[in-house]
Order: sequence, then C-alpha cells, then structure tokens
Amino acid sequence: MNPQPNLASVIRSEWIKFRTVRSSVTGVFLTFVLTVGLGALVTSTIRSHWGERSALRRAIFDPVSTSLSGTLFAQFAIGVIGVLFVSSEYSSGSIRTSLAAVPRRLRLVAAKCVVLSIVMIIVAELASFITFILGQSIYSGVVPTASLANAAVLRSVLFAGLYLTLLSLIGLGLGLILRQSAASISVFTSLLLIVPIITLLLPQSWQNTMDRYEPSQLGQAMMSPTPAAFSFSAWMALLILTLYTAAIVGAGSAMLARRDH
Amino acid sequence: MISVQHLTKRFGSTLAVNDLTFDVRPGVVTGFLGPNGSGKSTTMRLILGLDHATSGHASVNGKRYRDLDEPLREVGALLDAKAVHPGRSARQHLRALAASNRIPFSRVDDVLETTGITSVAEKKVGTFSMGMSQRLGIAAALLGDPGILLFDEPVNGLDPEGIRWIREFFHALAKEGRTVFVSSHLMSEMALTAQQIIVIGRGRLITQGSVDELTAGAKGEVFVRARDSNALEAALAREGATYRAEGPGFIVESLDAAALGELALRAGVALSTLTPQRASLEEVFMDLTSDDVEYSAIHHAGDS
Repeated sequence: MNPQPNLASVIRSEWIKFRTVRSSVTGVFLTFVLTVGLGALVTSTIRSHWGERSALRRAIFDPVSTSLSGTLFAQFAIGVIGVLFVSSEYSSGSIRTSLAAVPRRLRLVAAKCVVLSIVMIIVAELASFITFILGQSIYSGVVPTASLANAAVLRSVLFAGLYLTLLSLIGLGLGLILRQSAASISVFTSLLLIVPIITLLLPQSWQNTMDRYEPSQLGQAMMSPTPAAFSFSAWMALLILTLYTAAIVGAGSAMLARRDH
Repeated sequence: MISVQHLTKRFGSTLAVNDLTFDVRPGVVTGFLGPNGSGKSTTMRLILGLDHATSGHASVNGKRYRDLDEPLREVGALLDAKAVHPGRSARQHLRALAASNRIPFSRVDDVLETTGITSVAEKKVGTFSMGMSQRLGIAAALLGDPGILLFDEPVNGLDPEGIRWIREFFHALAKEGRTVFVSSHLMSEMALTAQQIIVIGRGRLITQGSVDELTAGAKGEVFVRARDSNALEAALAREGATYRAEGPGFIVESLDAAALGELALRAGVALSTLTPQRASLEEVFMDLTSDDVEYSAIHHAGDS
C-alpha cells in the first residue's frame, strides 16, 4: 500500500461524485446557457437601439463588458453549483460516508476545490469567449467592436471566466461553513445583491471607497478593459476576490476539520 | 481488532460516552448492545474519527482511524443506510467510494453481487427500499475487503428474510477471521447473531462477555417437579428452601440442581423434572439496563 497521501485518488472520487449528480450537470448547462444566451440578448438589444443613444453614451460605450453581461446572471447558477457540491453531502448525510473514506478532511476539501475549479474554469472560459465573440459579431457593422488581439480585451474575457470560477469556490466555502443549501445560497446571493444595496444607503464619499470592495464590483473591474472611476484595476480586483475566496474556503475547511459529524 | 480505551465524549452537559474501555476481537461477531440513546452510535462515530473524543482514544489495528491513509481497505462501516446522495445510482456511489481508496472497480461488481443488488445497480439510490439501502450500505462496507467491519443497527427496517440473510452473512464474515462489530438495541436479535456481547447504558460499560457467560449464572433458579407434588412441597418447606409454585411444579431459588436431587432422595420423593433455569439474554439485558434507560416509562408517568 502506498503510504503517501494520495490526493489524486480523492480527486478522481470527487469527479465521479460531481458528474453523477443532476444538479451539477444542470448547473453547468445553465451557466453556459445564461452566459451565452443572455449575452446574445443584451448585445442584440443594444444593436437595435444604438441609433437612440446620445453621443456621450456612444463615446463611453464598452463593447467588451456589455458582451460579457450574461455572466451577471450565470454567477448565481455558478454559486449554487459550488454550494450544492458540499451542502448536498450534509443534506443526504453522505458526508459521513465521505469522511469515513477520506478521514484526512482537508484532503477532501482540496479534492473538491480542484474538481470544481477545473470544471468551472473550462465551462466559464468557454462561455466567456463564446459570448464575447458572438456579441462582437452581433455588434459588427452597427456598434463599435473590440478584438481579442488587444491585450486588455483578452484579459477582460479571460478574467470573466476567472470571476465565475472564483464565485463557485466561494459557494463551496459557504457550503462548508453553513452546511445547509438554502442558507448558503441565501448568503451567496446576499453577497452579490444585498451588500450593494446596503452600501447605497451610506454617504456618497463612503460609497466611493467601499463599493469597489463588493464582489460584484470586483467582477465589473475584472471584466472592463479600462478601469472605471473609484474602481480597482483588473489585476487588483482579481487579487482581492482571490483573497475573499481563500478566506471563505479557509474558514469552511477549519470548521470542517473541527466539527463532529 | 478494535480497541477502545477510556473513551469519553461530552456534548454540552451530557456525557454521551463515559470512560468506555473494551476490545473487539477478530473471528467472532461482537454485539454492541444498549437501549436507544445509550451512546452506541456515538461510540461508533468516535471509532471512525467522525466525532472528536473529549478524552481517551479508540484505535483500529493499533492505529487511530484518522491516521489510516486508505481506511476502506482496513475498516468497513455502515452507520446510516440512507446517508447516500439520492440522485446517484448504486454503482456510481460505490465507484466514487472505490476511487477514493484506489480500490479497483471490479470490486464494485463483486460487492453488488455479494449483497444481491446487481439488478438495481443502475437505479437511483433515492428510489431504494430500506432493505435495498441496507444492502447497499453493506456493499459499501465490504468494498475494500476490510478485516474490520462495523454495523450500526443493521437489521432496522429489514424484513424477516433480510434479517436471516444478514445474520448468516455476519457469521460467514467472522468465520473468515474478520472483526465484526454490530450494534443493536434488540437483545433477542443479538442472542442469535453475536457470540460476544458488550452492553452499555448511558454511555457506560455495563458488562461484557460471551453470550453463554452472560446467560449462565445470571439466575440461579431450578425448576423441579414430582408426581407427588404435595410431598415435594413438604420436603422443600421442611428444608427451608425458597421456592414458588410454577405450573405443575416449583421454581426453587435457594438450591442448585444437585442439592435439590439430594433433598428429594432424603425425602423419598421421585422427581419427574429437574431443570436449571437459564435466563434469556433478553432478561439479562433488561435486568442490567433497567437503571440506565434514559427515559423509562416510569419517568413519563411521573411527568404527566
């Protein structure tokens, strides 16, 4: 018997678990459909109403982030995939079976993170590039377009996929902390939707400094070729969102390791 | 071999497991008995490293479960048959488990066959009856061909045919030299299944030993009967024996069979029956745990 810790076999096991549950397969499908489908819908609407835009609005128009706007909807499907990958183990009770098979608990978390990251990065990057290319072809001829040959544009499309991938890991971390599907999904949704509403109630000067730390604002920063006012650069936003993810997954792992099951 | 040393688990103010020490040896079926809520499941979770012990420790083959790298190859456990993702098929569930411990997928087919669920292997586990779920749980426990097996209340929800199957199955596993540790709150079931018994109540060890040891001597009574019942009773009374009438004869508490035989000879009474009474395991169990049942009927009567 191999005395070395064997992460690879646990990854293989988690991959089987991931792909044999309908919710994750549906979630992946939804992520794809929402990103590409709503992206196409938004870009076609912009094209058909382009003539009504003022000169100023035409001047500040960003063909990149608008073509990636399907990710705003897909991010919820992504979060649910991450949450359910863990919380369904608690709701069914199979977490005990999993921990009896893999008593090194952090190895179990690591394997789940690896499987989720790999699946999500493939799906989200694929969806981001397809929706971008589709969006530009819809804009073509009427609305200004962007090209992947531009480094900032390429970075924005790549980071859109990374944004979704990190969100799925945040969902996984919340699942580890809260263990219940409904609670975890509520918190995930609140982070993206409710936190921005709360900061709206703050004085404008506070908003200017605080808004940019919200996950959804970080996502916007990551997907924009040029940073907006009061927002982080794309790289800085990626770094901060990665730190959020690490903190949430880290807290969840620590709780998993300490808890009785 | 499972070894539990001074194992203690506290949940808040409740001592679920209280200074428990015992060994479970290979080659026999060991029953783990206690009323509901006596700490059996907690003890099993502690052995499997699912719960953290407050003090003391449990080991399997001399090692902490948490230190086992591929535990399914050494220990198989069935805690809760329904604790399986309902959307997965039986085969997928077993494959995921097998992969985590580098057990070849051919073993999945083997254990499906052994437990008789090959025909439903592709069905979603959520559609399974309790009996089928128990068989799947047993299949999962056997996956790594482990030398140690733990089953928590495995007969719950099984039909009589399933119970008989499981009982014979446990015997076969023990005969192969494995350590088989089975919990139950049903003494009658354990009397048929186990050779060794560990009894706990309120988290404490009450007694342990073989089924024979526990039932013998627990009750030193002898049933005695003679054609001439009156002469026998007169002789018993004359010699100061403690007895009571029981059907056509008497139950004698103060004398053993040999002493009663001599008594009858001295009195010139011919005995037609002389039988030492063995307590049933059930009676021993009730006797031992009556003080340790967490919620007895009497408490409820007192509350209302």
